[in-house]
Amino acid sequence: MNGLKEEAIAVFGRSGLEEQHHDELHVHLSNEEFLKRIRTVAEKGFLLADLFAVEESARAKAKKQTLVYVFEKRGYPDLLVLHVTFHKKATSIAPLFPSACWYEREIADGFGILFDSAYDKRRLFLHEVYPVGFHPLQKSWKNKCLSLPKTAVSLEDYPFKEVKGEGVYCVPVGPVHAGIIEPGHFRFSVIGETMFNLEVRMFWKHRGIEKMAEGKQPSWAVNLAEAVSGDETVANAWAYCRAVEKIAGLKIPARAEYLRMVFAEMERIYALLGDLAGMIMDVAYAAGASPFFILREEMLRWNAKLSGSRFFKNNVVVGGVVSDVGQNLLEDLGQYLHHFSSRCRDALNHSLNYPTVLDRLDSTGIVKKELVIPLHLSGPMARASGVATDVRLDHPYGYYAKIPPHEKIKEQGDVLARFKIKAASIEDSVRIIQQIIADIPAGVVYTEAKVKDGAAFSQVESCRGQNVHYVQMEQGVITRYKIRTASFCNWSAIEHAVLDNIIPDFPLINKSMNLSYAGTDL
Amino acid sequence: MNPIINMFKPTVTEDFICKDEEFEQLGIKLKKKMDVIFGRSMAIRAVDAGSDNAPEIELVNLTTPHYDIERFGITFVASPRHADTLMVTGAVTLNMAQAVRKVYEATPSPKLVIALGDDACSGGIFLGSYAVLGGVDKILPVDLKIPGNPPTPHDIMRGLLALMEKLQQQ
Repeated sequence: MNGLKEEAIAVFGRSGLEEQHHDELHVHLSNEEFLKRIRTVAEKGFLLADLFAVEESARAKAKKQTLVYVFEKRGYPDLLVLHVTFHKKATSIAPLFPSACWYEREIADGFGILFDSAYDKRRLFLHEVYPVGFHPLQKSWKNKCLSLPKTAVSLEDYPFKEVKGEGVYCVPVGPVHAGIIEPGHFRFSVIGETMFNLEVRMFWKHRGIEKMAEGKQPSWAVNLAEAVSGDETVANAWAYCRAVEKIAGLKIPARAEYLRMVFAEMERIYALLGDLAGMIMDVAYAAGASPFFILREEMLRWNAKLSGSRFFKNNVVVGGVVSDVGQNLLEDLGQYLHHFSSRCRDALNHSLNYPTVLDRLDSTGIVKKELVIPLHLSGPMARASGVATDVRLDHPYGYYAKIPPHEKIKEQGDVLARFKIKAASIEDSVRIIQQIIADIPAGVVYTEAKVKDGAAFSQVESCRGQNVHYVQMEQGVITRYKIRTASFCNWSAIEHAVLDNIIPDFPLINKSMNLSYAGTDL
Repeated sequence: MNPIINMFKPTVTEDFICKDEEFEQLGIKLKKKMDVIFGRSMAIRAVDAGSDNAPEIELVNLTTPHYDIERFGITFVASPRHADTLMVTGAVTLNMAQAVRKVYEATPSPKLVIALGDDACSGGIFLGSYAVLGGVDKILPVDLKIPGNPPTPHDIMRGLLALMEKLQQQ
């Protein structure tokens, strides 16, 4: 990790730098030192990949809270992790790293930590039903069921941004929507049909996943990781298991690693097929969407054939995968994928040669390239806006260094670009799976893991982009589990992308991003 | 000319051949029962109370060409006002509980409630979390529970069939 280390030494000096697990560089700082150097960190092009708080166990006399700032820099596979201690109040870094805003609100809710000079101090995942002064992630609070308040709360209890002026009116939508989709509240301020402002309110599905993990055995929490988001089951289970395996210093068998790659790429294919179908469906061209739905159903059936579950539930475990997939079955899959590719191409040509489809997709919902870094966008969304980023290339894991993805980049940033990038990603995943089927070695798929104490980060590229997991263990149980999915950061892009578009295009723009509500709300 | 030719020989669409005999049989059975109980069709409103989004994917799947559940008289409607049945997914979160109650109140009686998926049936792995109340039956009277993580399209059909049989007995 020489490159990143030199950069870090230039900012923080040599003393106090600590290497962990070969790809994490840790620095411990006081808030004053942190504030002196954070501007340089931003100027040097470091990107905020994650931000959360940890608290020492309840046994410690004084409640000791630390903020953990996780940075990455393009071109280096390692992470720079800053542990910042503060006295009473922390300081907001949202002016330098706008994506910090949601993280800081999340920390304020979870731990009761106040951020000086934060421009948005509203609650985030704790809606009005939760009592004032309730901070579930503090160690002194033991997890238990809460009951609803006696009096009903109103949506208007939350201080939404007010947009006023002649001809401006407000269209509140959600949390319950007309389709079969997840809950979220969208507040449009419109002039005529044109969207002038959008405020998104999420966290309706907050299930308290991070607190649930605390005190649990590492093998149990895999199911928790899978439940983060159904269509990112493999991605999150893999990221979680990698973190635990990293702490244990465990190298899993090669065949297991390759099988995880197959599962992860299968998951990417079916999820992205759903996105393509959804976009075509949202421009009311059902005949064009059908071939994608048909292919997706076939993929789900293949998932069941490979693993017994259409969503690969209960397959990835700490130490490998639950059961092997026979070589004959893998070769059948290879045969199928060969036909799949040509059918998928036909479906794409069919839709993309249809004037109505192009008319609706082209130049709709543009995510500007300038937003990608400040909002820390990742995945197909970033690649459709001209930024080359993919965890499989930036922070290689599994055997992605051997079989790297050939990611495509588009500059336009509109719905059409996202459509094409997702289509290209499907094709690339097929190529990766074919390559794995040719390369996969024989052998066992599981090795017993001896769990150790410690902490580690791991990252994966899910179908939506960068997911970062952090697991901390003491005495064989989890003491802190932090999940940051791509959706958590990518959601903020929609508030910008819809501006100047007409309200009937909102569902289409939303579908083109297809972010996970469950994965954001946790 | 095309419209006239199409009247005798469809040329703009093609047959979709899907050999899922089991599902076809379930559908036909369900349709027969529904013809009697619901006067031919049943309208379902899907409500997500805190799922991991996999049950939603399977519900959408039911409307796609492989299953095309509308053939058997089941439609997913956009408003609770049009619904006979609510299909609730996920363990009920504190944040969503009130909205789910409102959806139930907006549904005209007589109405049925189905809890779809392990989390909706009992709270699943989220039982004991500060952020969830538990299964759907914590806030609504539940007529049928369809377990699964998530339930497959076949499971959902078998569940609906069981619901029809239960109604027939009443």
